[in-house]
Amino acid sequence: MAYLDISNVVKRYEGHTALAGVSMQVEQGCIYGLLGPNGAGKSTLIRIINRILAADEGTVTLNGKKMTDSDISHIGYLPEERGLYKKMKVGDHIVYLGRLKGMTKADAVASMHWWLDRFDLKEWENKKVENLSKGMQQKVQFIGTVIHRPPLLIFDEPFSGFDPVNAEQLKVEILALRDQGSTILFSTHNMASVEEVCQQITLLNHAQVVLTGSVDEVKQQHKKNIIAVQTPDTIQPHPEMFTILPPDPVKKNDTRIKLAAGVNVRDAITWLNEHYRLTGFTEVLPSMNEIFIETVKSKNLENNE
Amino acid sequence: MNKLRLIIAREYMSIVGRKSFIILTLLFPFLMIGLGSIPILMAELNDKGEEAQRIAVCDETGHYATALPNDDKFNFLLIEGATVTDANEFFSKEDNGSYYNALVVIPREVDSTGVVNIYSKGNIIPALESTVKSALTDTIENAHLAAMGIPNLQEIIEKAHVNIDVRAIKLSETGDAKESSTDIAIALGMVLSLIIFWFVFFSGTMIMNNVVEEKTNRIVEVVVSSCRPFHLMMGKIIGVGLSVLTQMGIWIVLLGIAGVIGGSLMGVGSTVASPEMIGAGAAAAPEVESEMGSLLRQLMSINFTSIIINFLLYFVEGYLLYCAIFAALGSAVDQASDTSQLLTPVMLLMFFAFYAAIGCAQNPDGPMAFWCSIIPFTAPTVMMVRLPFEVPIWQIILSHVLLIATALAIVWLAGRIYRRGILSYGKKASFKDLFNWLK
Repeated sequence: MAYLDISNVVKRYEGHTALAGVSMQVEQGCIYGLLGPNGAGKSTLIRIINRILAADEGTVTLNGKKMTDSDISHIGYLPEERGLYKKMKVGDHIVYLGRLKGMTKADAVASMHWWLDRFDLKEWENKKVENLSKGMQQKVQFIGTVIHRPPLLIFDEPFSGFDPVNAEQLKVEILALRDQGSTILFSTHNMASVEEVCQQITLLNHAQVVLTGSVDEVKQQHKKNIIAVQTPDTIQPHPEMFTILPPDPVKKNDTRIKLAAGVNVRDAITWLNEHYRLTGFTEVLPSMNEIFIETVKSKNLENNE
Repeated sequence: MNKLRLIIAREYMSIVGRKSFIILTLLFPFLMIGLGSIPILMAELNDKGEEAQRIAVCDETGHYATALPNDDKFNFLLIEGATVTDANEFFSKEDNGSYYNALVVIPREVDSTGVVNIYSKGNIIPALESTVKSALTDTIENAHLAAMGIPNLQEIIEKAHVNIDVRAIKLSETGDAKESSTDIAIALGMVLSLIIFWFVFFSGTMIMNNVVEEKTNRIVEVVVSSCRPFHLMMGKIIGVGLSVLTQMGIWIVLLGIAGVIGGSLMGVGSTVASPEMIGAGAAAAPEVESEMGSLLRQLMSINFTSIIINFLLYFVEGYLLYCAIFAALGSAVDQASDTSQLLTPVMLLMFFAFYAAIGCAQNPDGPMAFWCSIIPFTAPTVMMVRLPFEVPIWQIILSHVLLIATALAIVWLAGRIYRRGILSYGKKASFKDLFNWLK
C-alpha cells in the first residue's frame, strides 16, 4: 500500500473539469514529481490532498486511512502562491504557523529557534517580516512549512524566486528531510530539478494522467535508440542497421546515429568499432524536458483530432 | 476550536498591537474635542481681533435709537438732527464713506409699517441685522402696549404668560403612571443606533481590507492549508470585533475618568448616584423638583436593562450579518480598489438601515418602524430607536429570531463564497461568479 494513495479523483468546476479521474501512488520516503503544463490540474490535485478543496469523486488515503481534516497536521505545504504577514515578527510568524498545524507553543518555539539557527536567521527573530530581503523571506516561508516536521511535504514550484545559492541550500534541506523519512511531493515546471531529485513522476495533462513511473523507467520507455559516437572518421549510413541524424546543436562533434528497429546497441557498437576508429560512445536518453514536451504535444494532437 | 482561538488572537493582536492603534485610540477623544472647539475658538478670534464697527443711525422718529445697544461688536452713532433721505448721498459725503460701516434708517412711519432699513457699501453682517431686529422689536412692541394706556399692563402680561411643560405619561398594563420624555428617548435611541451603524461599518471595511490584504500577500493559501477557510473568516470577524470592542471600552473608561474629574472639579460630590438614592430623594421632597431631578426621573423611566441587553444582542447579530458580507466581498477581489462595484449594494443597504432609523425615530410605533425592525437587514439600527419607547416583547423576540437566523445563513453563504474567493486570482469576480461559488 502506497503512503499516499490517490484514486480516481474527479473535480469539476462550473464549465470545466479540472481532474478527470486521476490516480497516483506515492511511496513512503520518496521524492515524487507531479508535472504538467499550466492548467493541467496540478494545483487542484494538491489542494485536494491538502483538503483545501473537496474532490467530487474518488478517494485520497494517507498511510492506509482515508484522509480527514485532522490529517492536515501531517502535511507541510508550500504553495506556489505564497507569502507571509508582512507586519508580523519573524519568530512569532513561524510559531503561529507551527501552532496552526497543531504544535504546542513550547514545541513551536523550540523548533523555530532550531530552524532559524540552521538558516542563519537568528538575529532576525524579532524583526518584522517586511524588513527581510526576498531570499530571507523565502527561507522563513520554508521554515514555516517544515516546522512541525510533517511526514508528508508538498512543494509547489519550490525553487521559484530563489537565487541559485539559496535554491541549492533548499535542495539540500529537502533531501535531508527525505533522508529523515519524509515523503515529498513536488509540483514543478523545472525539469532539471525533477531529474536531479525525483525518483518517481506523474505527468498530468488536460486533467488526466498521461505518464507515470520512475524517472529511469520513463526515460527507458521514451528512448529513441539513438547513440552519440565520438570518432575522427566520417560514418556512412548503413540502411539495414542505422541512419545518421543531423548533429546535436550543442555537441557538434558527436555523430548521432539512430538504430533501425530490432537492432540492439551492443551489436551496433560492435559493428561500428570494427569499421571506424571509435573514441567513445553514449546512449542518448531523452531529457525529462523532451519527454514532457513530446508527451504533452502528442496528447494535445490526439485531443484535437 | 483551538485553531479558531489562535486565529482570533493573531487578528486581534495584529490590530491592537499596532502602535497606530494605541496612539489613535488615546488621541481620538482629544482630537474630537479639538475639532469640536475649533469653530468656537475661531469665532472668538474673529470677534476679538476687530474693533467695534461704527454704525450710523438716522432716527426719524427721534426716540427709538437709544434702544440699539452698544457692545464690543457694534458702536451705534446717532446722526444728530440729520434726516437722511438718500443713503447714497450719505456715503458719498466726505469722511462718512470710510468712517461708517453701515447706516440704519428708522423711518418715521416705523410704528405702522414695521420696516427698518440698513444700508451698507459692503456686505451687511448678519449679526447686525439680528441685533437691530431684536432690539427694535421689543422696544416698539413695548411702546405700542404703553400707548394703549391700560394700567398695570406689564403685570397682566406676565401673569398671562405661560410656558407649557408637556409631560408624557406612559400608562403601563398595571396602571402605574410613568413619566417619560420623548426627547430623551429619541436621543438615546439615535445614539445607540448610530453606534451600531458606525462600528459595523467601520469594522466591516476593516475586515474586507484585511481579507484583500491576505490575498495580495499570498499568505492565505498557506493558512488555509492548516485550518478551514471558514475558521479563518470567522477568526478575522471575531478578532476585529474584539479589537473594536476594546477600543470602545477604552473610550468609555476615558469618558468615565473625564466625567469623574469634571464632576469633582465642578464640586459635585456624587457624580454617580445610585437609583435608590435618586428615588429616595424624589420621594422625600417631591415639591422641590429641579430640572435636573426631572431629567433624572425621566431617564429612570427608561428600561435600561432591556436596552443594554438588546443593544449588545443587536450589535453582535448585526455585526455578524454585515461583516460576513464584507468578508465575502473582500475574498472576491485581488486588490482593495476593485471592491467598489461589489460594495455599492451593501453600502446602499447599510445607509438605508441608518436613514430608516432616523425616519422611524419620529414615529416609533408606525408601520414603517414595525417592518423595518422586523426585517433583519434594518432591524439592528431601527429597533434601537424603537426600544426606548417600549416595544411589545413578541416583536423583539421575532426580530431577534429572524435576525439570528439570517445572520447565520449569511455567515454560512459568505463562508462558501470566501472559500472559493480567496483562492481565485486574476479575474475580477462579478455577482454572477459569487452566485456560482455558492453552489
